[in-house]
Order: sequence, then structure tokens, then C-alpha cells
Amino acid sequence: MIALLLAIAVGSLFASGAYMIMRRGQIKLILGLGLLSHGVNLLLFGSGALTMGRPPIFLDKKKYAETLATVVPADPLPQALILTAIVISFGITAFVIVLINRRHTITATDVVHGELVPLLREGDPFDFSESQDTDEYDWLAYEVDEVYDSDESLTGSTQRPTSEIDESEAMKRVDYR
Amino acid sequence: MNLSAMLNGASATAPESWEMALSNLLAAPVAIPLLTAALILLFARWGGRRRIRLQGVLTGLALFLNLAVALFLFQATAGRGERFVLQMGAWSAPFGITVYGDGLSATLLLLTALVAMAVYPFAVATIDYHRERMGFYPLYLLLLMGVNGAFLAGDLFNLYVFFEVLLMASFVLLTVGAQPAQTNSGIRYVVLNLLASTVFLVAAGVAYGTLGTLNMAQIAQRLPLASAAVRTVFAGLLLVGFGSKAAIFPLFFWLPSSYHTPPPAVTALFGGLLTKVGVYTLFRSYTLFFPDLLIDWQQPLLTLAGATMLVGALGALAQPGIRRLLSFHIISHVGFMLMGLAVALSGNQLAIGFGLAAAVLYLCHHMIVKTALIMAGGAVELYMGSDRLASIGGLVTRQPFLAFLFFLAAISLAGIPPFSGFVSKLSLLQITLDTRHWLVSGVSVFASLLTMINMIRLWRESFWGEYKRPGRIPSRILQSKARQWLMLTPIAVLVLLSLGLGILGEPAFRLTTRVAQQALDRQAYIEAVRPAASDPWSVKR
Repeated sequence: MIALLLAIAVGSLFASGAYMIMRRGQIKLILGLGLLSHGVNLLLFGSGALTMGRPPIFLDKKKYAETLATVVPADPLPQALILTAIVISFGITAFVIVLINRRHTITATDVVHGELVPLLREGDPFDFSESQDTDEYDWLAYEVDEVYDSDESLTGSTQRPTSEIDESEAMKRVDYR
Repeated sequence: MNLSAMLNGASATAPESWEMALSNLLAAPVAIPLLTAALILLFARWGGRRRIRLQGVLTGLALFLNLAVALFLFQATAGRGERFVLQMGAWSAPFGITVYGDGLSATLLLLTALVAMAVYPFAVATIDYHRERMGFYPLYLLLLMGVNGAFLAGDLFNLYVFFEVLLMASFVLLTVGAQPAQTNSGIRYVVLNLLASTVFLVAAGVAYGTLGTLNMAQIAQRLPLASAAVRTVFAGLLLVGFGSKAAIFPLFFWLPSSYHTPPPAVTALFGGLLTKVGVYTLFRSYTLFFPDLLIDWQQPLLTLAGATMLVGALGALAQPGIRRLLSFHIISHVGFMLMGLAVALSGNQLAIGFGLAAAVLYLCHHMIVKTALIMAGGAVELYMGSDRLASIGGLVTRQPFLAFLFFLAAISLAGIPPFSGFVSKLSLLQITLDTRHWLVSGVSVFASLLTMINMIRLWRESFWGEYKRPGRIPSRILQSKARQWLMLTPIAVLVLLSLGLGILGEPAFRLTTRVAQQALDRQAYIEAVRPAASDPWSVKR
């Protein structure tokens, strides 16, 4: 009976987690991942066979021997497994939340979108000169503060970061402390 | 340390203490990167460029040590045919943590160490200061630790933990820098890989619930006693979990949508290592747990392999950039390896395991050449400021040495003799033809042709034609000769390795045959780990 209930709980956790993951919002994505990991944890819990009134650890040796003579004590291993799985999924959930928050601040959108690549086009299908691909080369974006060998850097626009300008302007003021 | 060890009884000639010392060495590929990363994070984390240089030196040292250990283990296992088992803390098999190393593990350890060692100078030359400051080097080491641990794990749960370690490091390596494209691709990568991990964890739960153990040797012992339903569910879950890590046909979507966004050094590392962990675990689990399913499920596995090859090669054909093309192409190669697994048991009357041997040889070839090619593509991207094939061109006049290396790596990938691609593809094809799988052999030949077309396209668009340089180049690359040599030397070394593997094709195939036969010998695995004979499981059920 308990096993059936557990199976239903695991199944519904998996189903709702899968449903949440497949929706577009990112918060729902996080919730879905959480539900899925709970489902797996319950499944691991169930894998140790559900027993009642048989603790895995006895302080009393005699009682332990008595119990062992009649029944097998509960299996403590699944709990250790679940504990590990919980720690891992906790860390990963934290990472995903930070990642999604970061993405939200950068792109100001909450929707997980795919790349729109037109599959069927007129003319040469392998001519990509027109494709709007904004994804590329921005791993180089960090290096804008370094000197490039391009023409722009030679013409010498000596624009400093705004924070620096603000600081130096402020220093000129009389009441600067 | 309170480590003790047991060793396979076959090599009784060596003294016991020597054997134990050797088995303790199994912990080194995990311990070295972990300890170095901890050291860096504790003592060299904060500070300016001088600290970063210290981090770099420590990382290089750790990679060198790791390579030495991997070479030693490879020599002992694949060369002399030994097996090493380390029971952590002297707990006997199903209760403690089992670390197991045989020829297959050691081959992958060696290749991983090689790839990590080769990508490292490239990373030093090209990774920017900001990423270095955010912990690039410790992450590099932790990724290496996760990969090494996955190759050595002797039970399912530790395999899961090491998978998570390498995934976590790869998540951060992929997204550090937090550019819009990186965060976009990061979310897809993270979610799809987490789903795969979930499926794998369910498989571990099913194994524990039905077989009462997570130790791989004991699972192999007990699976023949289990019902057909349990075996099918377990095998299917493992196929889905490991298959999506390995990027096989319907489960590969995380790969092409993410690999092109981080810096090229990270792409080269991922392309060399990550999918191979999935391939290794597929090899290990299917040969150890279900050798009979390799025959019963041969047709579905071959279908998957053919579809993976075709989709990977065709998808690569439609990619607009160098790194996109190369990373999509990884999928096609995983198809070849899966084909090798599907015919793993085939052989002649003298020996079995030629299929697995060919697959392992292909794996070696792929890891070496793919890393070299992605690094060469990354170098092109750095010299051009862009990797859009449509907008670059004519680099052959400016960088003839890079063009030469790229050409050699490309024809090796396409399978032209005397490079390793020819030998490995030939051996795979021969075995598939010997076992009369005409259709999938034809598909593999067609996929090879598509590979050739892809490589020709890459070469023509980026090196031939008029010199076009659309983007800005970071001057620290162009002004520093040392950086350029750091970029090009590892590519040259890997290309030379590929050439060597191709010329020494026969001894290499003999070596991988020994590795494959060792991996297929399930009884020896079980005896080496020696799980305890009786435990409450038998009473409980």
C-alpha cells in the first residue's frame, strides 16, 4: 500500500517536473528541475525496500541480535545516497538560479529561446553571408579593454571608462574628500 | 594514508607491497588535480597577474604528473595486461568505494591526460586575464578530475558523483565570462545534461532496488539472475543516460547548441573529453553488464549508430562557422564508436572483441585529431577575429604553418592514409563488413565522404581565396611570438601523434585488441574486485 503511494508520488513528481521543464519560463524551469530531483530522491528512497519498525542501527547489542534473528533491519544506504544526491542537486540548483539571474540581467528576457535558423532558403543553401547570427565571437568581448591592431585604436580615441572620468571630475571639485 | 589494496591474482610474481603501491597509484589521477585545484583556491586565489602565473605553473605541473601516472598505468594494464583494484579504506567490495583500472580505463586516462596537456598551452596563450582571474585553472583541473574519476569508478554511485563533478566544472567553464551567447547556451547545456544525470540516477536506483547493490562487479554477477524486465529497463535507462552524455542520435541537442560559445580552448577541451566519458561508460556498462544484449539489441544499436553518423555529418554541413561545424561533427564520430560497440563481440575463431578493439582505436584517433582540429580552428578564429566561414578567407598566405597543420588534421579526420583516421576507419569498416551489416557499413562510408566534404569546405573557405579579415584581433596574440608558438606547438604534436598512430596502425590495433579482450573478460573483472559472497540482500528478498 505504502509502496503504491510512493510509486504514485514519484510518478507525479516526474510528470510535473517534466511538464514544468517544457514550459518557456525560466522560473518554471528551475521549479521543474527541483521537482525532478525530488522525484529521483523518492525513487532512491523506495529502492531500499520499505520496512516498518526495524531501525537500521541498534545501540543495544542483544536487541540487535534478537531482531536480526527474525527480520532484516532497514537498509540505511539509500538515505546516504539521497543525502549525496540532495547536496549535488542543491549545488546545481544554486548554479542554475545564478545563471538564469545573470542571463536575465544581460538579455532582459525570461524566455528560453532557441536559435532561429531558416532551414529552407532561396538560392544557395550554404550561403550564410545573410544569416543573422548574433551568437558568435562575443567571447572576445572581454578583450575590448586591450589594444587592438585595428584602425580604430590607431586613430586614438582615448575614451576612458565612465567610472574613471567621474572619479577624476569629482577630484577637481573643491569639496572632494 | 589508510589505503589498502587487492590485486588480480594473475600477477603473483611481483611482491605484495609493490602491488599495493601500484594499486594506490589508481587514486592519483583523481587526487593530483583535486589537490592542486584546492591548493590554488586556498593559496593562490587572490591577487594580480603574478598569482595567475603561479596558478598556471601549478596547473602545468599537475597536468605533467597526471600524464606521467597515466602513462605508467597504461604501460602496466594495456601493456602487461594487469588489472588494478583499489578498495578505499580497506573496506571490501560492495561496502566500500571501489576504484578499478584496466586497459580500457588506462587508455582513456592516457588520452585524457594527453588532451589536457595539449590544450593547456593553447589555453595559456589565448584565455584572457578576466577569465583566468575567475578561476579558469582550478576549473580546468576539476574537470580533469571528474573525467579521470569517471574512468576509474568501480560502482554506479561514484560514477554518478564524478559525472556531476565534471558537469559542474564544465558548466562553469562554459559560462564563465557570462556573455549573452554563453548564458543562452549554458542554460540548454545545463538543463539537458541534468536530465541525463537524472535518468542515470534513476538507473542507479533501479539497480539498487532490484539487485541490492551498486558495485559494478556485483551488478555484473547478479544481473543474469534478474528478470528480463529488470534487465531491459536497466539497460534502456543506461542507454538513455549515457547516450545523451555521449551525444548519440536523438539525444545530442545540448552539444551543437553550446560548444561554439566559450573560448576556443574550452571548446577544444570539451570536444576532446566530454562526450568520450559517455562513450566510455557505454562501452563499460554494455560489455560488463549486458554482453548478451550486444547481440539481442544489435540491430537497434546499429540503427542508432547509423542515424548518429548521418545526422552529425549532415548537420555539420549546414553550419556557418568553423567551431560550430567541428562541434556538430563530433556527433558523427560518436556514431562510429557506437557502431563499434554494436559489433563489439565479433571476431574470428581465434579471438573475439575485434569490434570493441576497433572502436577503442577510433576513440583514440578521434580524441587526438578532434582536439587538434578544434585548436587549429580556434587559431584561425583568433587570427581572423571571426569564424564565420562566409566572411573569412585566404589565411594560407599569412599563416602557412597553421594552414599546413590544419590541412593534416583535416585529412586525418577524413580518413586519408597515412594518418590514424584511415587505420581506425578501415578496421571498423572491415569488422562491420565481416559481420555482414551492409547497410550500416554503407552509411559509415557515406558519412566519411560527408566528413571529407566538410573538411574541404572548411579548408576552402578559411584558407583559400582572397585574404579577408573581418574582425579585430587581440594584439596580445599577434604581437607575441611566444603566444603564437604556444598555440601552434600542441597542434603540431597532436598531428604528429595522429601520424604515428596511423603508421604504427598494426601494433596499435594489437594493443587495443588486448585492451578490448581485457574489457570483455567479465569473469576476471568480478574476480579482481571480489565482492563479498553473502550479504543481507539474499535474505531480504
